[in-house]
This record gives sequence, structure tokens and C-alpha cells, in this order.
Amino acid sequence: MQLTLEFGGGLELLCESVKIHSVNVDPQVGEEKLTMKDLLSWVRANLIKERPEMFMKGDSVRPGVLVLVNDCDWELSGQLDTTLEEKDVIVFISTLHGG
Amino acid sequence: MGEAEVKPKKAGPVQCSICSQRRAALKRPKTLEQICRECFYAVFEEEIHRVVVDNQLFKPGERIAIGASGGKDSTVLAYVLSELNRRHNYGLDLFLLSVDEGITGYRDDSLETVKRNEIQYGLPLKVVSYKDLYGWTMDEIVKMIGLKNNCTFCGVFRRQALDRGAAMLKVDKLATGHNADDIAETVLLNILRGDIARLSRCTSIITGEDGPIPRCKPFKYTYEKEIVMYAYFKRLDYFSTECIYSPNAYRGFAREFIKDLERIRPRAILDIIRSGEKFRISTSAKMPEQGTCERCGYISSQKWCKACVLLEGLNRGLPKLGIGRTRGLNNGLECDTKQSNGVKNIQSKQCGTLDF
Amino acid sequence: MACGAGNCQSGCFRDDDDSVVTEKKKLTNRTLSSGSDIDLPNHHNLCLKCKVNETLASSGTVSVDGDIGRFCFDCFRGNLFGKFKLAVTSNAMISPTDNVLVAFSGGPSSRVALQFVHEMQHKAQKNFDASRDRSLPVFGVGVAFVDESAVSRIPSDEFDKAIQDMKSIVSNLAPPDKAFHVVPIESVYSSNGRDRLEELLNAVKDVTGKEDLLQHLRMLSLQKNAYENGYTKLLLGSCTSRIACHVISATVKGQGYSLPADIQYVDARWEIPVVLPLRDCLAQELNMLCRLDGLKTMEVLNSPHSGINGLVASFVTLLQEENPSRECTIVRTAGKLTPFHFNQIPESDDSNVHLASRRRQKKFNLKPNESVPPESYCPICNSPLSKSDHINLSSLGSDQTNADIFGATCCPSCQFQILPKEPVSMEHFYSLLPQQFVVQAKDRSFSMQRQLREQIQDFLLSDSEDGT
Repeated sequence: MQLTLEFGGGLELLCESVKIHSVNVDPQVGEEKLTMKDLLSWVRANLIKERPEMFMKGDSVRPGVLVLVNDCDWELSGQLDTTLEEKDVIVFISTLHGG
Repeated sequence: MGEAEVKPKKAGPVQCSICSQRRAALKRPKTLEQICRECFYAVFEEEIHRVVVDNQLFKPGERIAIGASGGKDSTVLAYVLSELNRRHNYGLDLFLLSVDEGITGYRDDSLETVKRNEIQYGLPLKVVSYKDLYGWTMDEIVKMIGLKNNCTFCGVFRRQALDRGAAMLKVDKLATGHNADDIAETVLLNILRGDIARLSRCTSIITGEDGPIPRCKPFKYTYEKEIVMYAYFKRLDYFSTECIYSPNAYRGFAREFIKDLERIRPRAILDIIRSGEKFRISTSAKMPEQGTCERCGYISSQKWCKACVLLEGLNRGLPKLGIGRTRGLNNGLECDTKQSNGVKNIQSKQCGTLDF
Repeated sequence: MACGAGNCQSGCFRDDDDSVVTEKKKLTNRTLSSGSDIDLPNHHNLCLKCKVNETLASSGTVSVDGDIGRFCFDCFRGNLFGKFKLAVTSNAMISPTDNVLVAFSGGPSSRVALQFVHEMQHKAQKNFDASRDRSLPVFGVGVAFVDESAVSRIPSDEFDKAIQDMKSIVSNLAPPDKAFHVVPIESVYSSNGRDRLEELLNAVKDVTGKEDLLQHLRMLSLQKNAYENGYTKLLLGSCTSRIACHVISATVKGQGYSLPADIQYVDARWEIPVVLPLRDCLAQELNMLCRLDGLKTMEVLNSPHSGINGLVASFVTLLQEENPSRECTIVRTAGKLTPFHFNQIPESDDSNVHLASRRRQKKFNLKPNESVPPESYCPICNSPLSKSDHINLSSLGSDQTNADIFGATCCPSCQFQILPKEPVSMEHFYSLLPQQFVVQAKDRSFSMQRQLREQIQDFLLSDSEDGT
């Protein structure tokens, strides 16, 4: 599944200062759909190069990190349970940096 | 400022609870309403307008400096204030005021952002630098004193630099971008540190009315989440790198606690501010007597102001001068820096930006 | 009392002024003569206070953390009892004619509270027996355990065993005998308590709200029991750590105004005044005392906090680990907030009140200008309401139901986290409330009007006095 991931608000520093990543993520074997929960663990394993605790806490993002799926607050689409589709754009923004 | 292309989610898009027409784009932490982008812009700006009006933050004809760091809060503040000034005929002369601490790879980059804001919003920019005011850049200070206590220097110098810059601009007031999350955090920190004097004034929307330049916080009731969402949706140009001299400074217990609270009860942030406003603090509690620094004329409760003491130490090669357990400007801040084991600290921004 | 700084070795905890001076001189001399090395041989193994016995840390019988390990057992226990006694005497918590009900949860704090009250009573009894005129009576002590089995899921065999253990703890204490009351939480209702209580709690959706409501009901049932059994004081084991958590959670819930009411040594807004003699003792110290003194506790009955309260508890624990004086600082900050007029034992006309306890009574932090009672309290949590939270009853329309009026007299925090939002559920919730809450609310809306009338009358009176 083709997805665009964007890191902002300082989170890009955790992935070698690259803001936009075009990635290919597939549902786990035996699963039909890909959820945000799956994506987060994929991101943690594949994109985050340092201080993963700045990005995640438990199996979700760290409180203070905003998530938008196709420019829509993920709190509206079910957070971790949000189902992702082909060509979705997922944005992660930290609110914790700078002032 | 083109807005990103929107591809609606197929699985039942939520309708905006205000206009009932467009697709909701976010959930407001303050009200839990699900609203669309356009309605969000409208309520966000209107609420700040109400805060400005209800608290009489500005008077027509005033010259107002906006403390601009290039970060999200001050960028959104500059944008919204210039917008409201136009829309509601506040009649204000707005300026951007930035402090150049002299930190290569951090402040020089963020100053570029502020310079772009100057053009984008058409607001005159004034930059005051530590080098000009004190003869030292933070790079030079760190070279001399190392990474311990450097945030103390920076915090003390910044506070005074903003006042001096404001005086040069001949402004009547300084508006800062402190948001609701910042203020809630400060309330907690002052409780944790036992600082009753700061606790009593940290929730005031206007401070320093007896000082040279009053300061005000138009974002006092504005959630950080909404500021970041606003900046993102509007594609505002802001800078978000951490200071190279206090990396991890934002990994504070208190901030993390605030964010954990927000997750289970978003209203907690406003409740903390509300508590701070209602604390029964005896007005007779002693306040340090304000005089002026014999050396530079800046307000000071001591013979010399903190900045002059620190500066004297630097110039005489005794940088520890003024650092320690004296009951001065930064009492409490140093204690916590000392107690921290370098891994985590109770506060998020050691660098003194919360020092209000 | 040690100075609180973990690494302070100056001996400033000493009571004796002279010895402090000599100690300081010694330190200075040593510093001058031998530079930075000021360590005494064996210094670390001897108790900081008595300098005779081995420290708890070095005796190695138990693992101890922090400052506690720097004292010997006797001095540690003495310190703790000293804090308890100072709180009792300087706030006139217990007078010889009092009958004190100790709320015992089975946890370490209330276990120590019970122990210390008992020791105090035991000593008073000895003095009484030895005195010739026997003019000073000995205060009475009773123990109450709030039985929450109606709302918690504790296996009944474990629960019964805990009750048995508590009974034997109380009965094994030396005379005078102490009554042991098991107070069912549903006793706040006159009938059908279990069902109504369950339904009431189910009507509260917010987990924190549910927990806090249960806490208020607990207090209500203790008050009721104390009243019915002729007790004159209700003694709680709330320690510094517990109070520190309350300071933060009350702040987080927007209760900044009423916060100082809850954290003083004395809280006499209740029918039976509540006293907190362990206010200056850390949970860590009380746990340690229970271990060292072999005081049995029943942990099975204490459920962990949830929601906001849980978050606050882990935050405070984290802070305390980072800095062992943090809990004290939090309570000290909140202690600087202005308390309410009811935060002291009401002056009584009772001539039996012994002068000695009067004389020792210091009025900590109570401003004389604090004599005006606040006009109104939240009928659920009994918090004093700030001016801006007072409702203007006349502004409520005439078509308001009792439930509406009740809701409007609650504090904003209870309105948010306890009251149901929809009118229908609110009616239902209101119908399930214990009578006590409802009566309080009614009393208060009337007393507000009465007070206003009285104030006007006072004003008129003083006016005419000036005129004559």
C-alpha cells in the first residue's frame, strides 16, 4: 500500500531530518486491512532512527504528537483503529518543540 | 499559503457540528466539538478577539511588540493579531521583536523564519542581540562556562533583552505567545517548587504593569493543539528545532503530565488555569521591593540586576558569580537544575521562556 | 526534624542551639585544616540524632531508603511520633473530654494513626491513674472501618479475613477498650442502600467522578457513624504524600479556590470536626514504621486510583523519586494558601477544656480577617464555593425542577465529573442521592437567602449604633 508520511514540528529530526517519506506498507500476513496501529509500529521499526520515545508511548503516539490522516484529525477517525487506504497521507506533528 | 489537497475518507466522514455542511477536520480539545477547517479558523480567531476585548489587552493607538521567536506560538500570534487588528480596527501599530542569542545553527535559522514573517505579515521587525547588549553571544558564553547553567544566563539575558528591545521600539506593551498548556504547566511548576509569589501572578493575563513594559498573553486560554493545527492548516511558516544547548529540555515531567491529562480530560488544562486564578493567596504576602539596578538602570530588587551580576562574572572570568542559592530572580530555577540528574527535569523549557 | 536536604551533614536537625554552634565550629576548623575531607570515621554508621545507636541502614535488618536510613530505630520512631504529637497539641485536635473516632482503612497510614492515638490515650490513662485529684478525664477512642463490599469486587473470604484481622488489632490494643465499628458505605441510605448506591454510581460516567463520589460517600458514612455513636472528633490518617496528591488533583480539577479547606490539620466544616494529625508524615515513613514495628496492614482493601487521580498519583510518585522532598514542598506551597474560618477547632464555651492544651495551641497561618464564613458549599463534595460560582437562585426560572436547582448549587468540578448531562438522567441521579446531600442543598439555598437578610440586618444595626 502506497502511503505518504509527513513529519513536522521537530519530529523530522528523529528520521534523519527528512520531512516527507513515500512508503510502501502492507497489512500483516493474514490481515486484510492496515490500521494506524500497524502503521505506527512499522514507522517505529523502519523510519525512526533515534529517541523513539519522543515519538511513541506504549503502542500509540506520545501525548502531544498530533496525527492527521488526509488532513483530518485522527481523533475523528478512530485514532489507532483508523483504517488506511491506498494513497493516504498521514501527518505527524509534534507540539512539544520550541515556543 | 495554498491549502493541502483534501481526499475525504470513505468510511463515513464526520460533519462539522457548526456549519453542518463541510467535513469536520478536527476535534476541539476545549469543547470536544468536531468542526471543519473554515469554522475552526472562525472560532479560533473569534475566541482570541474576545480575550483581547474582555481583558482590555490593548487600547486604540497603542504600539505593541510581539515577542517573535520564529516558533509556532509566536508565529501564529503575529498572524492572528495582525489579522484581528485589521478586521476589528484595533488601531494598533504592531511590531515583531526578536532576540538574537547568538546560537549558530539554531537562532540564526529561526531568525530567518522571523524575517520571512516580517515580509509575509507586513510587520516591522526589530532584532536585539546579546552581542550588542551584553558583548557576549551564547556561543561565546557556552565556550566559557560549558553546558551547565547556560540556560540561567540565557533566561536572564532574554528577559531583559526583550524589555530593552521594547523600549527601543517605544512600544506600550509586549505580547507573548504563551499558550494555555504553558500556563497550566507554570501553575504546576510553581506548586512543585513552592514559589507562592510566582504562583499568584503566573495566571495574570497582563503582568508587569508597574514595570517598564507591561506584558500580555493573548493565548492564555488557547490550547497548544489548536495553535499547531491552525499553523498547519494555514501552512504558516514556523521553525521547530530544539535549542542545541538544551536538547531534551522539553522532556519535562510536568509537560508530559499535562499532555497525559489532556488525553483523558482535555478540559484539565483550563481547569488548572482556573485553579491558578482562584487560589486564595493573601495579598499581603511580601513581594520583593522593586528598585533599579545601580549599573544599568534596569528594574532590580538588589543593588545590581541579575543580568549585570552574571555579566560581571563573565567579564571578570568568574562565571559562577550570581549562580547559586541566592534569593534572587532565578531562585528555584537553579535548584531544579541542580537536582536533575541530567536525564529528566520537572519542567519542560529550562531555557527560561516560561519565566513569567 | 532534619533539614530536608538529603546531603545535609551540618547537624542542623539538633534541638540544642549550643551543639549546633560547636558542630559548625568543628566543621569549619576541620575544613580549614584538612581541606575538603571532613568525613569522620564511623560517622555514617551512627544515628544522625542520638549519635549512639547504629543507623537503620547499617543495621541491615531491613532495606531502607533515603533519610530514614540515617537514623536509628528509636530516633526514627520518636521523630515520627513527635510530628504526630506536635500536630495534635498545637492544633488542639484532642481535648480530654473528646471521644475520637479513628477512620481505619487497613492501610499503613491509618494503622499508624491508630497506633499513635492509642499510645497517647494510654499515656493519658497512666497519668490519670497516677494523679491525685483525677480532674482530667481521658479521651475516648473508637475505630471505624468503612465496608465498601457493596461496590468493590473483593473476594468475600479475603474480605472477612481482613475484618477479623482488624478486629483483633483493635482488641489487642492495651486498655482503655476501643469500640470497633464496621460501617457499610450504603448506610448513608436509610433503606435499600445497596441497590440505590450501585445505581447511583452507575449513573456517573466519568471514572474519576465515580471515584470522587465514592470518597464523598465514605466521608458521609463516617460522619453519620461518628454522630450516631457520640464521637466528637473524626481522625483520619491522611499523610503528606496523600495530601500532596490531593493538592495536585484538586488543582487539575479546577478546585483551586476550595483546595486550602481540605489540607489543613483541622477541618470543622463537618458536623463532627475532622483532624489530620499525620499531615506532616510521608507515606514512605509510615510504611517503614509499619514494617519495623510489626504493625499489620491489610493491603487487599486498598484499590489503586484510576483516571485523573491515578495519573496524579503516578506523577507525584515520579517526582518524589526524583527529589525526596517534593511531596513536602507541594504541601508547603498549598499550606501558604489562605485557609477557611472552619480550619480550626471551634472555640467552645466548655470550661472542661484544659488550659494546657489551649496554651499550647498555635494558630498556624490563620488570618484574623478570615472570620466571614463563605456563604455556600457544594452539596456533593462540601467544597466552599467561590463568589463567581455562587448561583443566583432567583435567576433560575420558576419552572426549574428540584434536580435542576440541586445541579446548579454544585461546584463546577462536581457538575462536570459527577452530574449526568441529560436532564432525564439528572432527574434519575437526583432521585438516587442519599437524603443527606439533598437536605444539604436545600438548607444551603435557604441559608444563602437567610444570610443575606442577616447581613442586611447587621448593616442596619451597626448603622443605627453609629448614629447614637
